[in-house]
Amino acid sequence: MRVAAILIDTGRELLFRKTIIVYFGVVTLLLLSFALALHTDVADGLIASISVAGLRASSPGMNGLTAEDFVRYVQLGTVFMLYPLAILMSVFATASLVPRMIEKGTIDLLLSKPITRPALLAARYLGGLLTVTANLLYLTGGLGAILGLKTGVWNGGIVLSGLLMSLYFACLFAFVVLAGVLLRSTTVSVMITAALFFASLMVRLPHAYRDWPLLITGHLWRFLAVTVVETLYHALPRTYDFVQASTALIRHEGGLDWGAVGGSALSGAAALLLAVVYFSRQDY
Amino acid sequence: MSGDTSTDASGPAVICQRLAKTYRAALSRGGVTALRGLDLAVPSGQTFGLLGPNGAGKTTLVKLLLGIAFATSGTASVLGRPAGDVRSRERIGYLPESHRYPPHLTGEQVLHHFGRLSGLRRPGRTRRVDQLLRRVNLGEWRSVRVHKYSKRMLQRLGMAQAILNEPDLLILDEPTDGVDPIGRREIRDLLLEQKARGATIFLNSHLLSEVERICDRVAILKEGALLREGGVADLTRPRSAWQVETRAGRPDAVAGAVARVPGARAVDGRVEIEGDVPAVNSLIDALRGQEVEITAVLPRRDSLEDVFVKVLGEGETP
Repeated sequence: MRVAAILIDTGRELLFRKTIIVYFGVVTLLLLSFALALHTDVADGLIASISVAGLRASSPGMNGLTAEDFVRYVQLGTVFMLYPLAILMSVFATASLVPRMIEKGTIDLLLSKPITRPALLAARYLGGLLTVTANLLYLTGGLGAILGLKTGVWNGGIVLSGLLMSLYFACLFAFVVLAGVLLRSTTVSVMITAALFFASLMVRLPHAYRDWPLLITGHLWRFLAVTVVETLYHALPRTYDFVQASTALIRHEGGLDWGAVGGSALSGAAALLLAVVYFSRQDY
Repeated sequence: MSGDTSTDASGPAVICQRLAKTYRAALSRGGVTALRGLDLAVPSGQTFGLLGPNGAGKTTLVKLLLGIAFATSGTASVLGRPAGDVRSRERIGYLPESHRYPPHLTGEQVLHHFGRLSGLRRPGRTRRVDQLLRRVNLGEWRSVRVHKYSKRMLQRLGMAQAILNEPDLLILDEPTDGVDPIGRREIRDLLLEQKARGATIFLNSHLLSEVERICDRVAILKEGALLREGGVADLTRPRSAWQVETRAGRPDAVAGAVARVPGARAVDGRVEIEGDVPAVNSLIDALRGQEVEITAVLPRRDSLEDVFVKVLGEGETP
């Protein structure tokens, strides 16, 4: 019941702060415009014509595009364009949860109640995660349903990719929580998390192309550069790998890169554990 | 919530033994010492006032008792369990000095939120919330978000929150700070109700007149050390001084009488004398000899404020 109290309060706070409402509104607007603007004619599994906000394209210009491929392309476009935006909006929406909780006057009251510190922080984390997951599922489920109704093709990969991105957010959010506990500042937490987000994208490239250290002549500098890149790659949630895994789910291609998913989950779990340990030992 | 039977009801509600706290400072080696080896016991069922100037360590002590901060050395127990223990917190009510309630909640939702956190279940919680909202005169404001509440309303809501679980120990940190006289009286009445119920009250305040009215015992802290502890009645006992109230008669009559009695002095239309009963009798005789009408003879007591100023001024060491 005590954890439920924190979950309920976290949901109410996010609604009150309006950031999550704006997020929900943007997704709704996107889905509505998609539902109203897109018209397709499907014949024998092929797209005969597409009309987007009155701009019409029809066969033979469609080059035998199957409805299945069309749905897949739209969903892949969503992954590349909307997921980064959705994740960053989620970080903005939830970054204040921990700094606000540990403000003087608020934390005193919470810690005087019969709930342990780890349970308090974990419930706060879970509250933020559940709210964001609901929004991601609303986006992906809504998109999947609209495309299914318009084309008759039901590709559940988009919903699975939404769940996967929720897992990615869970990893990133653990760093948001850690920064919030350590620094007690919403703004600095957002800045650090955004920096980690982009750093995780940037280190993917040198990690993938293993010959790059040869460009550095000095042995020490080469060693340091490789150490920094590999440490960051393994310590941070692997943004690029998650996006790639999401596209694989939509294309129904091969298995997931469980190494990347598991590594990110581990780094998220470590960040959350650090946050809990620090929070449990801190004077307020 | 008196369901726990593991604590001896007649034993002290709070025990501190050589309790010390030093806050580490980022750029300093030593840090700031807030409490220095405090020994203290708060008897169950009593109202205990913790006094001291700003920075004396009062709030730090409260935080250590609740587990909001951790002691550097020494031990503290609350309701028979180590300070900060989750199970003992089920039986504690707390009103912090600068409490901040979630601004997105209404008064009623705040009480339900903290009721859930205290482990209160429906429908008992609903009944208790309704009862308390009426008791603190917030019934009409129950559905209004708390960011629209005045300071006095927030303090009343805070008191309702603190007594929601019918605590065995009620800890209040400056509950009347910044509250107007009517608000102070409302809080005092609520505290007296809790006292009558048998709760132990731990009151941290620098409003000495309030403490003197409510508390059975007090302790005075200065720079983290205990300077004095005792019953309010003992600390403010009569100090062999008397005050004789007179009705104005001839202007020189009182002055004439005072001049004849050693140790007597006229102050603001009344006469004061240091000494025992024979001394005050000789003053009365002298006044009556001048045909001065006497309306009252009162033994002088030190107020708690007198004691407080004296103890701090003397810089007594424990």
